[in-house]
Formats: sequence, C-alpha cells, structure tokens
Amino acid sequence: MSELISDTDLVSMFIHLGIDRDSAEHFRGRIEHRLLINRCSECGTYHQPPRPICPRCWSTSIVPTAVSGNGTIDLLIFLHQGPPAPGVDYTTPYPVASVGLDEQEGLRFTATIIGSPNDEIAIGERVTLDWIDRAGIPTPVFRLTGDAS
Amino acid sequence: MSTSSRNPMKDQVAFAGAASTGFSAHNTERTPLSLAAEACTTVLRECGLKASDIDGICGPSTVSAGDVQNTLGIPEITWWANPPIPFVNQVVMAASAVHAGICDTVLVYHVPYRHAFFTASALRDPFRRVLAPIAGGGNPDTMWGPVGYTAWASRYIHEYQVPKEHFGLVSISDRSYARDNPLAAMREPITMDDYLNARMIRWPLCLLDMDVPVDGSDAFIVTTTERARDLPFSPVLVNAAVLGMVDANVEDQNVSLEHHGHHVVAKALEAKSDFWIDDIDVYFPYDGFTIITLNWLENVGFCGRGEAGAFLESNWDAEQNRILINGKVPVNPHGGALSEGGTQGSGHLREAIHQLQGRAGVRQVPDARRTLLTAGGFFYNAQGLALHRE
Repeated sequence: MSELISDTDLVSMFIHLGIDRDSAEHFRGRIEHRLLINRCSECGTYHQPPRPICPRCWSTSIVPTAVSGNGTIDLLIFLHQGPPAPGVDYTTPYPVASVGLDEQEGLRFTATIIGSPNDEIAIGERVTLDWIDRAGIPTPVFRLTGDAS
Repeated sequence: MSTSSRNPMKDQVAFAGAASTGFSAHNTERTPLSLAAEACTTVLRECGLKASDIDGICGPSTVSAGDVQNTLGIPEITWWANPPIPFVNQVVMAASAVHAGICDTVLVYHVPYRHAFFTASALRDPFRRVLAPIAGGGNPDTMWGPVGYTAWASRYIHEYQVPKEHFGLVSISDRSYARDNPLAAMREPITMDDYLNARMIRWPLCLLDMDVPVDGSDAFIVTTTERARDLPFSPVLVNAAVLGMVDANVEDQNVSLEHHGHHVVAKALEAKSDFWIDDIDVYFPYDGFTIITLNWLENVGFCGRGEAGAFLESNWDAEQNRILINGKVPVNPHGGALSEGGTQGSGHLREAIHQLQGRAGVRQVPDARRTLLTAGGFFYNAQGLALHRE
C-alpha cells in the first residue's frame, strides 16, 4: 500500500515532522501502522533517529525494521501549553513520553500516551504501541499495559 | 577518548573589554542590528578603538557579521564567523582565529532578542513576525530542543527523589542577585511560594524555571594578550576553552544524566586549565533552565549526583536570599539567564569580564582573579571557559 504513495504525498503528509530521504521509510511504515526503526544488518544494532549509516560499525546496510512497540517509560513530561495540533487540547495536560523499547537498551521512541488518566502515567510504567488518526495522519501512540516494569 | 591537556592557546588571547545595552523583557521598538550597533560602538569607544582597528567580526547566526561590518563602517576584515549559540562558540572561534593569526582584533557581539516564536506578545509584533520563522511545526510529540530539558528534569526528580524546591533555589538566587544589576530585566525578588505557584508550562518545569526572553545586546573585544595590555582595561586572559558533546546527543536518546556534554566539558576544561573550582572567585553555571544549573554544580564537582539542591541549601546566604559558595563565591552575580535575561551566555561572559577587570560596581567580588564559565546544556551545546587576569 505504502509504495503507492508518491514521494510528493509522503513529504506533504509528514513535512511537519521533518521528513527527509533518510527517514522516508520510517514514515512510509507509519501509513501501514508499522513502527520502523533503523537496524544495521551487519552488527544488528538499532539506532534512532534514522541515520544514513550505522553509527556503531559504519555499515551502509541499514534496514528499517518493525519493532514490537513494547517498552518502558524512561522520560515523561506533561505539556500545559504547546504547539497547535489537531485533536490536542492542552486544558488537560498532554503527556509526552520517551519509551525505552524492549529491542535494545537505551533505544527510545517519543510519543504521547493515551487511554489512562494522567495520574496513572509515570516513569517506569510498561507500555505498548497503538495508532491514532490525527487529521488524516497516522500517528504512533503508547498505552499503559498495567504491568509493572 | 583520551582527555588532552594540550593547550598552546593558553593565555595568548584576551578580552580587552565588554559592554551591554542592558535587557528588556518587553518588546523594544528596535531591530537586532540597532541593539548590536549600540553595544558594539560602546565597547569600541570604551576600549579606545576605531572601526579601522577591527579586522575580525563574530556573532550569532541571527545578525550577520556582514551587516555589523557595513553598519559600523569597519573598512576591512580578514576573518568573520556566525556560529550557533550558546556564546562560548563565538568566544572559541574568535580566540582561535586570533591565536592562529587570521586576524588580530575581533569585535564579538550577541543579540538576545524576543523573536516571534518565543512569546505571544512578540508574535503580535509584525516586525518580529517577518524577522524569524515560527518554529515548532505543530508537533507536540517530541522532546526536541528546549523540551528536552523538561524531560531530563523529570528524570532527575525520578532518579534522585528530590523536591521541586531544589530547582526553585536556583531561580530565587538569580533574582536576588539581579536586584544589584541595573542591566537586568527582572529585578523584583521572588519567594519560594512565588516559585511553587508559578504557571506550569511543561510539567515539571514552570515559568520561573525558564529563562526570560529579552531584547538587548552584549559586545566584546578579543585580541592578543600583548595588544590587550596596551588598552585601557586589565586584560582578561582565556586560559582554556572547550565545546563538549557526546555521540548520543539527540534529546530523547541521551544515555543518562551521568553521561552527556557537561561531563566532556568538565573533564577537558579541568585538564586544559591552570585552575579549577576550588580556586575561583566567582562561578558562572548556565541557567537557561534551572535543571541545567543543578547539573553543572554536580558535574564540575561541587557535590555528588542529585545533591545540588542540598548543596545550595548548605551554601545559602540567608540574609541576601541567594547562594554564596563557602560564604564567599557568588554564582551568576548578574542574575543569570533567569533574571538578567536569556542571553545564551553572553551576559554571563560580560559579567565575568567586568568582575575580573574590577568594573562590576556594587556587585564587585573583592580582588576577583579567576572564574569558570560553564555554559549550555546537555545535548548539542555544553561549553566551558576558564578566565583569569594577570
């Protein structure tokens, strides 16, 4: 499906997120609700955000790889004000979390948390990936799993 | 990486002077270039220099060296640069260019400005709207830029289980010091209640954890130490300077509070300089966000991890309601970014120079000879400067 989307449409869909050629496949993955993180096919190391070579071994053999989306909240803030975005209302402080993904120590992905009241969201909570539609743009989010880390 | 003590530039380059317009937390009806022109002509006059004495120009990316040159009528230059802030970038570039012999005397300037993307009132000014693009891009799901400091402030509280009051002490101390600085934008003292009740912006950081957007300009003369000795004020020598960064420098990929640019700066600056924290008369840790100051105090070695708040409490000057290390070493005596204004380090540098030249007025630290300036934050912009006078 995503191959049917032209570069022009892909760029216009994700221009506000700073899409470039090195991150294009990651954003194509979003259209299919797949969270693609660059992984080196030689040394197996993931890196984030997408870079043109493996920062660990300098291999150019980089494969955008779907991750499970399971992880632990490492960093957490609540925006009481912020940039205008469709469907985002800061009257209830808006959570933003950097989630340490289970695939690799220190590999994080940043998104909002949905489905739980703010007082239940905390650093150390386990989460899993989900997707929402934000003004026609597929957007990755996390939900608490209720498991302790 | 091995930390090298190699430092052939040591004490070969000096600041001859520093001047400022002072700072306003309201929109002025002036352009950045107008503010720069005032600070630059002031520092040149104070140092007894003519336009033709300048052969290098260095400032931020927002006001070009070319425009400063054509505005001031500086006839010919052989070097210029407009690197990003914070301001130790400008210092390192200018000092390196002088030491390398690409030029002899550099006019260095900064223009903190209330750009349209900073505040609602700045956005209402049409002249400001045309000056700089509106950043942000409508994506709230990011730790990019300033948001990253809030993220790691939250992590700091989580890891060390410290109260918000520890952050508040930084804010209160800056405001108490700013009372004595006529250049400062915010001079009304604040209490811990004021801090704890301030408007939350990005939890856990509130309005008083964040530096004040200001209009104003600082300007400096950097030249050889030899030439500076012939000018009116005592030369302030650049003993050591570094810009520190680690590989995992994207805000949400930063490894931990124990491994980022600060740690590189602390290690390298200590290796390259002739003095360290026990030898200084005044200290300038960056305070664009309160969390940065707490981290600098820990990372240069004043105290252990998570102990900066307790360190502030045990070094508190209760009478003046501000920090005074060991009862004698002031910290950001100009009021810092949180009260003088968000100068991205140029205010800290100007005050450091004035203190070492004995020109700091009522704020003067008696016989101040040495200082450390540790600017910037964790990710792309940690910096350090060791300055002293002869």
